[in-house]
Amino acid sequence: MADLSREEVERIAALARLALTDAEADRAATELAAILGYVELLQSVDTEGVAPTQHVLSLATPVRDDAAVASIEPELAVANAPERSGTAFVVPKVIEGEEAG
Amino acid sequence: MSAQRGAPEAARRSSKSPEGYEVVIGLEVHCQLRTESKLFSPAPVRYGLEPNHSVHPICLGLPGVLPVLNGRAVELAIRAGLATHCTVHEHSIFARKNYFYPDLPKGYQISQYEEPVATGGWIDVVVGEGEDAATRRIGLTRIHMEEDAGKSIHDASIAGQGTLVDLDRAGVPLLEIVSEPDLRSPTEASAYLRTLRGILRYIEVSDADMEKGHFRCDANVSLRRVGAAELGTRTELKNLNSFRFVEEALEAEIERQASLLDAGEAVHQATMAYDPARRRTRVLRLKENADDYRYFPDPDLVPLQLSSAQVERVRGELPELADTKRERFESDYELSAYDARLLTESRGLADFFEAVVAAYGPAKPVANWILRDVLQALSAQELEIEGSALTPAAFAALIRLVDEGRTTAKGARSLVPDLVARGGDPEVLVRERGIEAVSDSGALEAAVDEVLAAQSADVERYRAGEKKVLNFLMGQVMKRTGGKAEPGTVREILARKLDG
Amino acid sequence: MTGPLGSIGELRAELDAGDVSSVELVERALARAAAVDDRLNAFLGLRVEGARADAARSDERRARGEVRSPLDGIPVAIKDNMVMQGEPTTCASRILEGFVSPYSSTLVEKLEAAGAVVIGRTNMDEFAMGSSTEHSIAGPTHNPWDLSRASGGSSGGSAAVVAAGIVPGAFGSDTGGSIRQPACFCGVVGMKPTYGRVSRWGLVAFASSLDQIGAFARSAAEVAVLLEAVSGHDPRDSTSAPEVVPAWSRGLDGDVSGLTLGLPREYAAVDGIDPAVSDRVGEAVAELERAGATVREVSLPHAHTAVATYYLIATAEASSNLARYDGVRYGRRVETGAGLTDMYLRSRSEGFGGEVKRRILLGTYVLSAGYYDAYYRKAQQVRTLLRQDFETAFQSCDALVTPTSPEVAFALGSRTEDPLRMYLSDVFTVSANLAGLPGISLPCGFAEDLPVGLQVLGPPLEEGRLLRIADAYQRRTDFHTLRPPEST
Repeated sequence: MADLSREEVERIAALARLALTDAEADRAATELAAILGYVELLQSVDTEGVAPTQHVLSLATPVRDDAAVASIEPELAVANAPERSGTAFVVPKVIEGEEAG
Repeated sequence: MSAQRGAPEAARRSSKSPEGYEVVIGLEVHCQLRTESKLFSPAPVRYGLEPNHSVHPICLGLPGVLPVLNGRAVELAIRAGLATHCTVHEHSIFARKNYFYPDLPKGYQISQYEEPVATGGWIDVVVGEGEDAATRRIGLTRIHMEEDAGKSIHDASIAGQGTLVDLDRAGVPLLEIVSEPDLRSPTEASAYLRTLRGILRYIEVSDADMEKGHFRCDANVSLRRVGAAELGTRTELKNLNSFRFVEEALEAEIERQASLLDAGEAVHQATMAYDPARRRTRVLRLKENADDYRYFPDPDLVPLQLSSAQVERVRGELPELADTKRERFESDYELSAYDARLLTESRGLADFFEAVVAAYGPAKPVANWILRDVLQALSAQELEIEGSALTPAAFAALIRLVDEGRTTAKGARSLVPDLVARGGDPEVLVRERGIEAVSDSGALEAAVDEVLAAQSADVERYRAGEKKVLNFLMGQVMKRTGGKAEPGTVREILARKLDG
Repeated sequence: MTGPLGSIGELRAELDAGDVSSVELVERALARAAAVDDRLNAFLGLRVEGARADAARSDERRARGEVRSPLDGIPVAIKDNMVMQGEPTTCASRILEGFVSPYSSTLVEKLEAAGAVVIGRTNMDEFAMGSSTEHSIAGPTHNPWDLSRASGGSSGGSAAVVAAGIVPGAFGSDTGGSIRQPACFCGVVGMKPTYGRVSRWGLVAFASSLDQIGAFARSAAEVAVLLEAVSGHDPRDSTSAPEVVPAWSRGLDGDVSGLTLGLPREYAAVDGIDPAVSDRVGEAVAELERAGATVREVSLPHAHTAVATYYLIATAEASSNLARYDGVRYGRRVETGAGLTDMYLRSRSEGFGGEVKRRILLGTYVLSAGYYDAYYRKAQQVRTLLRQDFETAFQSCDALVTPTSPEVAFALGSRTEDPLRMYLSDVFTVSANLAGLPGISLPCGFAEDLPVGLQVLGPPLEEGRLLRIADAYQRRTDFHTLRPPEST
């Protein structure tokens, strides 16, 4: 399990939308393999029947009233946009063959 | 596969399984919850604004923002679960579904995955009409809450070389309702959707307006050899946004799969889109690299806990559901099962019916008038009863005018489209249109006498035993009175004078 | 005029006496920053005009007798992962280049309500991922005690600005030790309260179930004042603790008699612990015993699993939390006309630094199909066992004492090539985050002329007890009063 193939690294990188050069992918494979090798020690811990901790809080999730507040100014909403058209964000088109989601 | 398809009617007629196969359909419905604010953000739920005019830092996925759950959305989800006989869970979990898309501002959608709010329900669906009507119980796998994505606008005439992103819809609360693969034909699928939509509207969980995208459907469909236990490979049809498209798309996809299987080829797991212009489905993408959404419990939210008292309170507030209402209409109003079903399909129509009965009296004629004339006018004007101008009081008054012989049934019928569109006082309308019934018996007697005098040859034929001449003579009298005479009265006078 | 600023208590006394104005304090802080920060590199941005205006308003309030809090008019700094309306927030990342926040964090709102004056945003490891503040787009923050050494991380900038006397107090965030370890390296007090005590609204997320805002100052008493101002329930944070915040600063009477301190047996055997660090911590424990505390050995049987558990959970959450940096709505976009996916890939690959990418890859991997159960779920289960270890330990003691870091500040550049070794140095700090416990680090002496830190951990919501222990120690020692050499 601690061995991580280049293909695996590339699959993960694609899922995370990170582009790695060959050298980076090789290095990532080595580093991740070392880390995954280390975390193998968890496999020796007996967790049979142990409930997972998603959160340290024993709270139930709070709910709020269904009351709407005014929208923020549209100008402010798109003020940080790298590209905009009016008050819409603009992104490059999906090129045919690209995954849509 | 046959490339040419006939008219829509042909498609509907062919709504039988292809020879030797059983069709297996499961539906995933996304319906928008009726709330003021979004699921995890206090931004208002608004449509039709300029882009990004209904957003909060949370909807924009800005650094540092956190979700806080809308309590009303939770109530509506409980309500939907109870109305569909689901088990509503006191413990459920919000998870993140991770994927990249420009209209998904955080790079993940907050949804429910391993522990949804409700599971294991059913709804009864009536399939077919009249004599052929049969009830099928369709299982519901699960109901969960999730947030909607924003809107990407790809239209080159607006967006130029790019795609525009509007996040006004991002974060709007949705219920996803997943059926068991219990549906066996496109007709059943469509009937299921109509019933489900009716329930959601009844309990005021959603406006479920398909036009506005409040009620969207994805369908999973596969074929298997009759008698086979294993399910076949399924495909997923995305974004079927009208009842008609659901049926058409399923027809087309079933035919495509059947042709493949007939030819000994395999159906590949894929996401499909329906092209209504060509009446064909096409592969959007194969699922060979199955999506890896990396679901995990959202660490910004702790589990949702409902108390049994809260669930019971929501149960107590549930309105009468369609099934119960239908049974009550059959027994209380002595309506046929068919009429009762049509009248209870929408809560608005059922309420309208009861209001007219309350104002008028006998139920049966009210049912007839609504089912024939009101439904026709609504459908022609593409309106729901709630959106029409017709009031129960006006409609009761209209029927009464006919009963009192002050206008003819035909005259009254001609007013329904106007009443639906613009409302108004039927008595005034009858006068303005000059469609008062000629009920003055003197005038009618005179008109009959004139006709009998003018058509003496026909009178002879009648008296010689050619009884159907009566209809011709009636037509002549109606013509002479400009259609304002009550046909029953005319027939009575004619018969008296001819036979007497 | 460019000497270090005094403590919060001293500055407040000067303000109250009318010896100095808030505007003058802000000018002194800015002058001090100008004098030393080109060597420290502890600030990512100074808020000059805004701070002057805030200070002027504080002076007006004081003139009207409307002082809001003990922090009114006091200059402070915030880590550059806490948003402030109209100000940039970069998280020391290229990907947030140019981002100006349209809203403020709860922390900033509470500071404004208290009258504190934010003078700048401090350096950090990119997105708080690191233990050295070397993974910053702006370069490393240098340790005020030895400029060739790391300041610790990820809140290294906040630790350094307090150590160098630019401001008396600063805020940081702690996901696996990111306040306590830099506090240790820079010889100041740093406290991470119980998970949920300080709202995370407006704190840029690294790992949501672990992140917690806390404070730096030179004394526990000042940390108490800083944390009182910013703690409390916040309806905008679903993970905010509902409990009322006690007046911690009023409970500091120097009395620790009757308290039992637990020494975790497993921590004595940690690989690579500097013997000098062990010695200083032993001396500190002895000092607390002299002050009346009882000491006993306790056991944390799963202590050896904490770092592995932490890195699986933290990176999984981070991989999702950092998906929003996609070049669509804000921040840096790199586009070559090759379509959407290309834009994503380039913006993220060029926008994130190596350590962030490494953690995103690891986190994506542990959540991906087929690995979730073996890694993520397993880590969550072990997290339960770790919590139970602490629950058991706290049945026989009131607080745990440990070293904060197994070593003193290491040389800049000496660890960046070996990420796993860097991770392992978090061995004493990550457990508190996994269990949601409060923890404090305080200076307890020197090794190789560099500060050593003592960590005290307590049960949930027992910040007051930790502050009381730290304060009692500081009443009996003077390590916290020592300043870094004048060379800085």
